[in-house]
Amino acid sequence: MTGETILVFSEEPDAVLGLVATARSALAGTPGRVEAAMLGDGAAARAGGADRLYRLLLPEGARHDPSVAAAALQQVVDLAAPRLILVASTKRGRETAARLAGVIDAAVTTGVSSVALEADGVRIHREVLSGNAIGEEVLLGPNPIVAVMSSAPTGGSPAAAPTEVTDVPIEPGPARITLVERTVKPAGGLRIESAERIVSVGRGLRKKEDLALIQELARAMGAVVGCTRPIAAEAGWLSDDHWIGLTGHRVKPRLYVAIGISGAVQHLVGMRESTIVVAVNKDANAPIFAQSDYTIAGDLYAVVPALVRALTGT
Amino acid sequence: MPGPIRSWVAVKHGVDVVLARAERATGNVAMDRAPRKTSDFDRNAVEEAVRIREKFGGKVTALTVGPPTAKEALRDALAIGADDAVLISDPARPELDGRGVAQALAAYGRKHPEFDLWFFGEGSTDHFTGTIGPRVAAALGAPSLSYGRRVTVDDGAVVVDREYERELERVRAAFPAIVTVGQEINQPRVPTFMSTLKASKKEIRAVGPADLGVDGAEWAPTTRRERVFVPEVARKRQALAGADVAASAHMLLEALRAEGVLP
Repeated sequence: MTGETILVFSEEPDAVLGLVATARSALAGTPGRVEAAMLGDGAAARAGGADRLYRLLLPEGARHDPSVAAAALQQVVDLAAPRLILVASTKRGRETAARLAGVIDAAVTTGVSSVALEADGVRIHREVLSGNAIGEEVLLGPNPIVAVMSSAPTGGSPAAAPTEVTDVPIEPGPARITLVERTVKPAGGLRIESAERIVSVGRGLRKKEDLALIQELARAMGAVVGCTRPIAAEAGWLSDDHWIGLTGHRVKPRLYVAIGISGAVQHLVGMRESTIVVAVNKDANAPIFAQSDYTIAGDLYAVVPALVRALTGT
Repeated sequence: MPGPIRSWVAVKHGVDVVLARAERATGNVAMDRAPRKTSDFDRNAVEEAVRIREKFGGKVTALTVGPPTAKEALRDALAIGADDAVLISDPARPELDGRGVAQALAAYGRKHPEFDLWFFGEGSTDHFTGTIGPRVAAALGAPSLSYGRRVTVDDGAVVVDREYERELERVRAAFPAIVTVGQEINQPRVPTFMSTLKASKKEIRAVGPADLGVDGAEWAPTTRRERVFVPEVARKRQALAGADVAASAHMLLEALRAEGVLP
């Protein structure tokens, strides 16, 4: 009983667990194997119930050069002859996937939300048009590479037999990219992805000092403050932790209050999974109104203080 | 002080995500008939290459892969400040998938290995796989430095600052190198009437597989695009308008409490 092999890879042990579960569900009960390639001791692959673990013995500090991981994975692909390669659609994951696709000449795609094996290829769904639409595609040819969006690990199901282990040593080539500096972002900062309520602000805000208004409303609602790209990346009034959108953070709060946000497509994709959306905007024709449950057409400088007064009873 | 720098910039004439509409009956977007425009991040890539030329001298070449209509993206790049432009087309295959585009660009890079820096947008506005730059780099055996938000040029090398989910990095690579950039890197200049006029008069060099010494078979698609559809978003779209702003505020809070999303 051999069946097909799905190879999963991530540099992040946390992601491996989820990828193994995704691979299992793609196999849908057929007698296939899930094999995991990862760095470190491989505990996550074992916990997830991978049938085989390829331990990539990467040279220390090679993470900044995606060609190193791609070269390691190229060896694993030769060994495992996988029907499909799954990686996590993180920034590094996408980079490694693309590099690997270049070396093994395979189809590759990223940002994938569903994956299924079919007779002639691998059927996937992914976000397209800056998140406004879903694309359905079939990847053809040998060893297609699919980078999947993170899914909550489901705990995994231990393999019937213990995980086999293969060590993959990597010959360090000449360093093409040197790491000058790495700074780990401070942990324990704002985790806007897990916020229950968000009060978010856009270009309608006239000056940085007026953020106090928004912060006051957020406090009164028990919400955290979010913003659009112009407020974070362009004006620098709020740090990137607050930025919601295509290249910022994706959020799904129960309540999303959009203040002075017109609703550019790149912003909408970041908040479209919110349960209830409220928009406050001077312009009743702003695109955000069509994407909202409750709307108030009015000047935020009048509406926000009125909301604060109504909430605090002052 | 670095000498003149030869920069290439890959640009895409992609589907305009604002103007693309789903057909009412099916929810499908007819991608082949949708309006097109130059992909947003590619403008940042052109701007960055032009700024480097303004500082150190050299030349900026814009390249695109697609049918003749994709020249529009090259005109945009020329209007921002690129010096010349190349259209890579295969009449047998007007639309290539990501692999085909990467193969075509790599074929050009192999035939004319004359760049110091090759810029790409971090991803395209329409498909955003973010794979073309690193994939071309892999095919050419060049280093790829992705997600640049600040690029500086050192003597014969490029230094890139970039951000990952959990960390910030500064990396350095000798020329030739492939760099992808995000929106944060700069604010692309808006072409003037004069620069647009000048761009419209520049010659665009068109090359096909034969000019690059390949037969084009390696550009064949490995992706079958079945459909693009807009998922139904059911929002209530209830406009609240009380007698005055205080009344509207009360109506909203009442509604939110009824929804159970506000204590």
